[in-house]
Amino acid sequence: MDPVKITIDGKDVVTTKGKTVIQAADDVGIPIPRYCYHPKLSIAGNCRMCMVEIEKMPKLQISCNTQVAEGMSVLTQSPRVLAVRKAVLEFLLINHPVDCPICDQAGECWLQDYYMEHDRQESRFEVGKVHDRKREIFGPNVIFDGERCIKCTRCVRFCQEVTKTDELAVINRSDHSTIALFDDAVLDNPLSANVVDICPVGALTDRDFRFKVRVWYLQKTPSICPGCSTGCNISVEAYQNRIARFKPRVNEAVNSHWLCDEGRYCFHDLAGGERLSAPMIRQEGGLVPVTWEQALSAVHNGLKSAVPLAGILSGRNTNEEAFLFAKLMKKIAPDCALEVFYQERELTEVQKILISPDRSPNFRGAQAMGVSDGGFEPLMQKLLSGGFAGAFIVGEDLIESAANPEAMRAALQKLSFLIVQDTRVTETTQLAHMVLPATHFGEKEGTYTNRKGRVQKLNAALIAPEGALQDSEIFLRLLELAGEKNDYTTPAEIFAALSREIPDYANIDYESIGDQGIGLGTGGGGAS
Amino acid sequence: MEKILLRNIGIADSHTLATYTSQGGYKSWQKVVQTMKPGQLIDEIKASGLRGRGGAGFPTGMKWSFVPKDNPKPKYVVCNADESEPGTFKDRLLIEQDPHAVIEGTLIAAYAIQSHTAFIYIRGEMVFGAKRLERAVAEAVDAGYIGKNLFGSGYDIDLIVHRGAGAYICGEETGLLSSLEGARGWPKLKPPFPATHGLFGCPTVVNNVETLAALPWILERGAAAYAALGTEKSKGTKLFSVCGHIAKPGVYEVEMGYPFKKFLEEDCGGVPNGKKLKGVIPGGGSMPVLLPDEIEKVNLDYESVQAAGSLLGSGGVIVMDESTCMVRATLNLSRFFAHESCGQCSPCREGCHWMEKILHRIEYGQGEQGDLDLILNIAGNIAGNTICPFGDAAAWPPGAFIRKFRGEFEAHVAERKCTVPH
Repeated sequence: MDPVKITIDGKDVVTTKGKTVIQAADDVGIPIPRYCYHPKLSIAGNCRMCMVEIEKMPKLQISCNTQVAEGMSVLTQSPRVLAVRKAVLEFLLINHPVDCPICDQAGECWLQDYYMEHDRQESRFEVGKVHDRKREIFGPNVIFDGERCIKCTRCVRFCQEVTKTDELAVINRSDHSTIALFDDAVLDNPLSANVVDICPVGALTDRDFRFKVRVWYLQKTPSICPGCSTGCNISVEAYQNRIARFKPRVNEAVNSHWLCDEGRYCFHDLAGGERLSAPMIRQEGGLVPVTWEQALSAVHNGLKSAVPLAGILSGRNTNEEAFLFAKLMKKIAPDCALEVFYQERELTEVQKILISPDRSPNFRGAQAMGVSDGGFEPLMQKLLSGGFAGAFIVGEDLIESAANPEAMRAALQKLSFLIVQDTRVTETTQLAHMVLPATHFGEKEGTYTNRKGRVQKLNAALIAPEGALQDSEIFLRLLELAGEKNDYTTPAEIFAALSREIPDYANIDYESIGDQGIGLGTGGGGAS
Repeated sequence: MEKILLRNIGIADSHTLATYTSQGGYKSWQKVVQTMKPGQLIDEIKASGLRGRGGAGFPTGMKWSFVPKDNPKPKYVVCNADESEPGTFKDRLLIEQDPHAVIEGTLIAAYAIQSHTAFIYIRGEMVFGAKRLERAVAEAVDAGYIGKNLFGSGYDIDLIVHRGAGAYICGEETGLLSSLEGARGWPKLKPPFPATHGLFGCPTVVNNVETLAALPWILERGAAAYAALGTEKSKGTKLFSVCGHIAKPGVYEVEMGYPFKKFLEEDCGGVPNGKKLKGVIPGGGSMPVLLPDEIEKVNLDYESVQAAGSLLGSGGVIVMDESTCMVRATLNLSRFFAHESCGQCSPCREGCHWMEKILHRIEYGQGEQGDLDLILNIAGNIAGNTICPFGDAAAWPPGAFIRKFRGEFEAHVAERKCTVPH
């Protein structure tokens, strides 16, 4: 790529031919305000917020549609530029309801932010605002407020260019222009809620998140979506130790800027339900709470005696947990059959943009850790046909996910020994002889390896409930009961141990995984 | 003066092929196809000095020469017949009374850039004109002026008449192209320009009706004959549609450089009923108004009108006598632009109605101190900051009216009523 030298605000910038001024500025961290420009959408050039002064050009230019040229001198802070930003903000605000106190976008609104940064003037508009549709439901996840809309058309372009589903269009003219569903369309595509993320103002809000919590109260934790093995990078945003929403984090190697709707809302299911808060052992009359010591001892004894034994790990368990699970099971029952939960389904073309056909974000990692023994489906067949005496099921409700739940229920009931480790009460936990309360994706730190072999880091966004233990701690304590004392306890320490044992992970340093992950085979940081 | 553009107007059945060919029509077209190379044709039009009559006055031959010759994509020519500038009705006359001249000009332009598909995009409201054009195209097809292997040359051309849906913005060339593509009539970002990325992303030339209608004459008489008319930089003749407080409203063909005052007073009969002239818009509703003393020395050519602080624009002349309330006139124009703003970019979408609402309250006795400066400020914030020239078009009239008739506006605000004796 040909280098191009330009100056921005007097600073020398070397960029490449074909880039626009706004891209060149973004690359070196010089802020240019924008609404309609989005790096993953076509250039609309309609908001006029990103105008800059370019030497030898009489008019101000929109930096999103101006290509860099050798020797170009760009000013982003000149009096003319500052004046036009102020003017554009005023135009965008005159018909805006300024209903920030009841708007979900408040606190992350680009009108608020830029107003404080570039405008800060009293309203000069006294002649009656244009009214538009309020609270129009666009689809199952998205609701529209026409009066807050600045017509940047990001949402329209998203549906045209990314999902190619064309649900949205601009209708009417002049200051009565507005966004609307095209004919009888419903905004119900698998990626629909991304329009909420890219909407810079409060026009499109998330029906699920709406009115739940003010965004400035949210605790944001970078993590990985547990919905499928694409491994979309997310921010888990929590309030009072509950997940309020997922937001996508940009990772061009994985999900770009997007997150699918299924993944976005999967926390309701995965982090919800009736939490298990104490280990339980089945006695006459049902499951009875016991201490962890009693439970682990009973589990250890049971695992030794149930032959043949199946170990089934959730695809949502981390690499560190899978490593320990495999170690534990092979230690106690060397002949046991181990598998990570894995089921595929058919996907539509729009789903394929982001979604993988499974619901096991770490199946690939778990397999690499040794939780792999001839395939999940054959193991299920063997389980259904009574081929096991005992089973240790971690984090999966096999009855709910079975093609024939009654057959699965019958098969599980026949087992002489069934341990279920999970976070919540399920049909499967209710059949167990022993139940171990553990943690879900939002309460743990560790790594997932996505379908394409990218190792990415989960971080604990929530504090686990009292009474539950981290899956890794359960496995470590069981290992100790089995006579194997290890000197690692934290995810970082366990990862270091597994990277010594699993060749594909040999060169990966836990710390260098960072917020963007590392591809297997591309090597890590310090350890390589 | 010999008429170039209006030469067939007034002849019985001027809209028919028989009449048109009896006056020598389509001879230029045949000559071009049979004897001229595209480059030669472009040079000839460059030499004639013909400039675009849609408003901007860009040299026509040069516009054609921007179309890349080695581009493998199809090329298109579009005749812009979306005439909708307030006070402008010159193209309509040609379309309705001399449609074959428009067609012949469009075909010549197509040949110049070696396009094989040309369009006439006609304003939706011009139903009669569209029917005449469609009929004329059918006649020209039947007569072998449009079709394949014309005059045995191997050159093919198809011409399609397309009706717009009545939006002013579709007269802006890239808004027109969006509309012709079947999309919302939103102007496109430039660059890229239509010469390289026009209709359906292909090289495209958009020319105004009047520009194209001048081509047959120029090729018949030669570039030199055309260039002999007019001024140094503004060649040939131009149509002016004159309306408002004028004794003889109508469409006039005038040699470029003709004195404006003489034109209004002698050719158009002056302001009727013994009233005095108060102001005149020289080039369609979007152009700045001129005062009577400002037109004293103005001639009807691009440079002279520009020197006086306005633009020749479309040649839509709107004459206002002393009984005209300039607040109301400004409101009228602003209401038009506020209504016609396409809504794509922020300053124009929001600003046009804002100005209109303030003018409205001044006109209806609710004006406030500071309103005039606010309008000027809004106009300044729109002009130059929009995707297309519509922003300028909407910003200029209030700016010019308020600057030139400030006292009248102030009186309107202060006395909360109109002070102009009607």
